Amino acid sequence: MAHFRKLLVSEATAASVVLGIVLIIPFMLSFNPYYVSIFISALILGAVSIAWNLLAGVCGQVSFGHAAFFGIGAYASAILVTKGGLDPYISMLGGGLCGVLGSLVIGLPAFRLRGPYFALAILGFAEVAKLVTMNLTWLTEGSRGIMNIPPLPAIHLGFLTLDFYISRTTNYYMAAVLMLAIYLTVYFIRRSNAGLAMSAVHGDEETAAGIGVHVVKTKALALAVSAFCTAIMGAFYAHYVRFLSPDTAFEGSWSVMPIVASLFGGMHTLIGPVAGALVITGLDEFVFKRLFETGHKLFFGLLLAVVIVWAPTGLLGNRVRKTFHGEK
Amino acid sequence: MTSTTSIIQSILSGVIEGTDYALYCLGLAFVFGIMRIINLAHGELLVLGGYIAYWLLVKWGVNPVLAIPIAAGAAGGMALLSYRVFLQRIRTGSELNTLILTFGLGIFLANLFLQLWTADIRTIGVDWMEQPLMLFGIYISLGEITAITISLVVVLGLHFFLTRSKMGMAIRVTAIDRDSAALAGINVERADLVAFSIGGVLAGVGGPLLGMLAHISPGAGVAITVKAFVLTVLAGVGSIPGLIVAGIILGVGEAMTVTFTNASYRELFGFVLFLLILLVRPQGLFGRRL
Repeated sequence: MAHFRKLLVSEATAASVVLGIVLIIPFMLSFNPYYVSIFISALILGAVSIAWNLLAGVCGQVSFGHAAFFGIGAYASAILVTKGGLDPYISMLGGGLCGVLGSLVIGLPAFRLRGPYFALAILGFAEVAKLVTMNLTWLTEGSRGIMNIPPLPAIHLGFLTLDFYISRTTNYYMAAVLMLAIYLTVYFIRRSNAGLAMSAVHGDEETAAGIGVHVVKTKALALAVSAFCTAIMGAFYAHYVRFLSPDTAFEGSWSVMPIVASLFGGMHTLIGPVAGALVITGLDEFVFKRLFETGHKLFFGLLLAVVIVWAPTGLLGNRVRKTFHGEK
Repeated sequence: MTSTTSIIQSILSGVIEGTDYALYCLGLAFVFGIMRIINLAHGELLVLGGYIAYWLLVKWGVNPVLAIPIAAGAAGGMALLSYRVFLQRIRTGSELNTLILTFGLGIFLANLFLQLWTADIRTIGVDWMEQPLMLFGIYISLGEITAITISLVVVLGLHFFLTRSKMGMAIRVTAIDRDSAALAGINVERADLVAFSIGGVLAGVGGPLLGMLAHISPGAGVAITVKAFVLTVLAGVGSIPGLIVAGIILGVGEAMTVTFTNASYRELFGFVLFLLILLVRPQGLFGRRL
């Protein structure tokens, strides 16, 4: 058993390794704009997956509709800037808060019941959010979409100017910073009393309630934080691609891919989803899309089924020690 | 502009549509009621049946009504295969795992349809189905009458299978108490396999009807699955006659939404109804207390 124990690393070590890889990816791609833009999507996906996994891996509630929060965040931020004239950095926060509002609408009725109600309710919520966006034409321009969304304003750091209008690399590192912020948020929540309550709910709801955990509030908190982070990434996406339509912002992939990334990377860890996101983005771009041009996502469906049956711990699941409350 | 006749007409078309909804949902409601598994690939199994009827009609001119048994067989076979290869292995694990698994199977199927048959929207159109009939001063098409007849036949057939046949009774006993059923000599594994496959067969029956009365596309499955779950909850889990009532409520509500507001808000009605049911009466209209 001794050599097995050597393989086990702590969450912090695994996170440092993965984030180190994230840091050097643009150098490995020699700053080729096309490949960098693929990995920007991977980082956005990675960040959304961390948020998804707070709800699923920590609190035990699976969401099949995170596209709703992503789209709400993207649209809210774009509208606040184009119609409200807000600074994009502030409007991104506004987008996050709108995501929280959306999470309350769906979470409070659905969490009162145990079982699959929440999973199905949120699946429907994602459809409805897209439908409403498509029909509120006075606000969202309907299916025509919002064009010419301003990029994030340049940041001046002494001699260095970070420009988001032209440079893909700047956008890449901005996505990395946001992902790191979301990771740290989830990391510290996991170690707080609230995180402990979430774990208890995941383990056994009745026991959790018995020791004084407010189950509905705990689930709603996990969903609200998860929705906030997801909506922030949606807002970043809006200012990065600078065009939104209901079909792209609420695209089903934003619901599906975080599930695949988290399961593939390892739901019991916090950094696993990021590793999963990087690997599946690479697989999709360089393998799946070349095999099946239109139906390449069928591999992700199959991957979900295979992982859940034969490898439920995922890529990093057996390598990373579970972190517990208060552990260093 | 909403005269009395148009209201009556929209109520009637809602009732007709509601009966079809009950059929589209039967497979999911049955599997959930018996096995406590939500089959998130239900909608895709239904769409699979629709595609099979579509291609049988386009390639060989097979009457869609005659294509129903073939479509049902294909969807049932797919369900059987999914259960044997994947579901059986994690049946005893957590409920979330079966949800994620069937969700993955649904994505697999939807993208398989996309790869094989492109994203085009297909309609199964046959001339005789468009024939309008005048019944008590209201127009109703022959296709709609066929669909209602098939719905009722399938619901009755399922009812008699569950109450009269040996296998049906074995499935019911297994659902009530698995251990006692096994002690009484029932092959519970087989009962589960058959029950899940029947869910697939029921979905496959709905597919050709969906293609006849509306249309099918690779992504159409999710909306069907959600609607099926809404109806299952509205009816109360385990109540099959309740499904027809719930289907009619949904159908009429949607028709009214179209008449009084905007046609694009049609889908919203079912979702708002669902949230209300969760808040006010989570056990459903005809279910026992949770």
